[in-house]
Amino acid sequence: MKTSWKKITSLLLPGILALGMLSAGCGGGKSSGSGGKTINIALHQDPPKLDPMMSTAFVDRMVFQSVFDKLVDLDSKGNIVPMLAEKWEISPDGKKYTFHLRKGVKFHDGTEFNAEAVKFNLERYKQKKSNRRNELKAVTAVKVIDPYTVELDLDVPYAPLLANLTDRAGMMCSPTAVKKDEDKFLNHPVGTGPYAFKERSKGNRIVLVKNKDYWKKDSPKADTLVYKIMTDGNVALVNLKSGQVDMINRFPLNEVKKSQNEQSFAVINEPSPGFKGIVLNTANEKFKDKRVRQAIDKALDRNAIVSVALSGVGTPAHSALSKSSWAYDEALDKAPAQDIEGAKKLLAEAGKAEGFSFTIQTDTDPISQQVCQVIQKQLKTINIDMQIQKMDFGTLLDRGKKGDFEAATISWSGRMDPDGNLYDWFHTGTSMNYMKYSNPAVDELLEKARGLTDQNQRKGMYQQIMAQLSEDEPYIFLYHDNNVFGLSKKIEGFVPNPDGMIRTVDMMKK
Amino acid sequence: MKIIIKRIAAAIPVLFIVSIMVFLMLQLLPGDPATVILGQEATPEAVEAMREQLGLNQPLLIQYLHWLGNVLQGNLGQSLVDGTSVNDLIAERLPATLELAFGSFLVALLIALPCGILSAARPNTVIDHFCTFISLIGMSIPHFWLGMMCIILFAVELGILPASGYVPFFDDPVENLKTIILPVVATGFRESAVLTRMVRSSMLEVMQSDYIRTAKAKGLGERTILFGHALKNAMIPVITTSGIMLAGLLGGLVITETIFNIPGYGKLIIDSVFNRDFITVQSAILVSAVFVVVVNIAVDILYALVDPRIRLGKEGA
Repeated sequence: MKTSWKKITSLLLPGILALGMLSAGCGGGKSSGSGGKTINIALHQDPPKLDPMMSTAFVDRMVFQSVFDKLVDLDSKGNIVPMLAEKWEISPDGKKYTFHLRKGVKFHDGTEFNAEAVKFNLERYKQKKSNRRNELKAVTAVKVIDPYTVELDLDVPYAPLLANLTDRAGMMCSPTAVKKDEDKFLNHPVGTGPYAFKERSKGNRIVLVKNKDYWKKDSPKADTLVYKIMTDGNVALVNLKSGQVDMINRFPLNEVKKSQNEQSFAVINEPSPGFKGIVLNTANEKFKDKRVRQAIDKALDRNAIVSVALSGVGTPAHSALSKSSWAYDEALDKAPAQDIEGAKKLLAEAGKAEGFSFTIQTDTDPISQQVCQVIQKQLKTINIDMQIQKMDFGTLLDRGKKGDFEAATISWSGRMDPDGNLYDWFHTGTSMNYMKYSNPAVDELLEKARGLTDQNQRKGMYQQIMAQLSEDEPYIFLYHDNNVFGLSKKIEGFVPNPDGMIRTVDMMKK
Repeated sequence: MKIIIKRIAAAIPVLFIVSIMVFLMLQLLPGDPATVILGQEATPEAVEAMREQLGLNQPLLIQYLHWLGNVLQGNLGQSLVDGTSVNDLIAERLPATLELAFGSFLVALLIALPCGILSAARPNTVIDHFCTFISLIGMSIPHFWLGMMCIILFAVELGILPASGYVPFFDDPVENLKTIILPVVATGFRESAVLTRMVRSSMLEVMQSDYIRTAKAKGLGERTILFGHALKNAMIPVITTSGIMLAGLLGGLVITETIFNIPGYGKLIIDSVFNRDFITVQSAILVSAVFVVVVNIAVDILYALVDPRIRLGKEGA
């Protein structure tokens, strides 16, 4: 026992050193080039549910772009283009959609893709437990006309249908795999997409392999596609710099300016279809009076908010639709200049000249906090004392749904059809109408606009709705955030899409 | 042996109380699991249906007993979020954290023992000041910052180690060591700081005791005195600190795991809290409570091994 400690230390030390050197030595040789056949993409969150029926998270959709094909897709300009459906017809009354399907397409498990598969999927999405139910609500029947033709019957004309089919509601899962074990499907998705699911390790990575039989010629270009989960933006960035990932989906905003002249990667900065802002609870005594809400709107300087909290990476906003939408109206979305006097006047008219105090609930994201702090300062100028209450997003959402708040920062990632940014938010009694807002004129317009097929007519109506919303101010629009990607210069073939998704099918590593 | 069994028996009520406390505390959390799982677009009917499906509408006592009954049969339950077995989730996450914890612990020992002993052997010399300086740095530098700096140096600038991630040892031992070395050093360095101070002060105290003076008077060599006589006596408080440290590491590596993007146990718990995945949180915390208990029993046994004066029997009485 006398010398045991000495022995142990003297044995261990060189051992550890040797190990360290060994691993460092190997590292030098291997880490630089990994063959060029694997594309690594960092995601900011672990996708919770890889089943399009169950999915509710934004990040799920990123992985879906590789595993699943949709009936129709969006091109980089936001047009609806063929995907699994080669062409389609819509009846003049807008109540019948006929899709002609691509032939010779197979799911990753070998099951054939045909009209029966479409029927199976759409009916599955219409079930009670499905989160896609709302998107396909208007569809009353899915009919198989022949093996490669399928017809959707609607009870009312519903213009957003095609746009919905470019997203989760149009994604085709293998009927065989779903029937075999539906509970397992969300961790073992099987689609027809360019890459097939291989394995996932929760919180770590999702590995996909090339679909050799993909219907699009010469695609996909890589052998393996790995989504690496990196919850911290700065961690993702160092991985991009060191070449461990080729693309990151949430570039840290305060690094955007510094990274403009990087040699090894590019920053892609595109407006998203979503909106960020403040939900005002119109059922609450403090915000019942429209003039109070208008006063808050007037007192804010959106440019300052964007430049302070987002390092200037974002677009100051005043409406629900961003540039990425065909119904966008520049005049309506332009952030009004701060008007302190006007705001004070409105408050005085509402009998609150002395000001008042309220509490805003916000999530723990540092950006939300900063946004709130800037707003807090700006509202002080009209004697409004805003308290900030932080909570995790789950609690925030729960209270939002229950109406247990005065004001809150809840935002929306956005949908490609304007209906998706407006109907479920501002129609009376809808699922995201946290404001408890109700305006019969708006309700009527929302209903009418989704029933029309003429885009120009719809556009006019949505603009009318947005004008009314800027008058009523149940929701204070602050800005549209940008989708900011970091993309290694080794990657070719990535084209940004207005829906903010990373389509991997044509991506290639040099 | 009897005593060990006694200690284990004493641990059972502790674990039982932990299970009740965790269960009740989670109930106090605002935010309903069904709302969190279904997200923004969910209608109230869908939320209600989900609550029913998850069994959240049952009385608390039933929910608790149901969970406990399963746990006693070795079934830690199913994740509320996606129905995965919690046993699998834990089995998947635990190896990374165990490796991290023991690795950091080893690094801490490798720094603390030589530094502490040297400091104590040569108090108030350059060596002592140097070691004190090192441990001061260890205590004052936030380890997430140190981790970041390591990543920038070794992964971005030199490119010899991966910036982050984790590869299981049995998949690829070399890759495993490459991914684990930075986090282990960054965390171990911080942990070594307190331990160094502990070793030093404990050694100093022993060095001033009568029997060491006798040994010196007898003319024994310094090495024999230090390693043969002083060290073992000085180890008792060090073992206590190490035990607490190791137990802490097993549950509290969240920051390291986040910086180095390691899918570990700490992250599992934190993510599950945010997802309101009650079952996973309850079971994972219970498992880490078991670890703490095991480490404590191990520490008790080590006491006896290092210092025969401490009889396990006496302690029991």
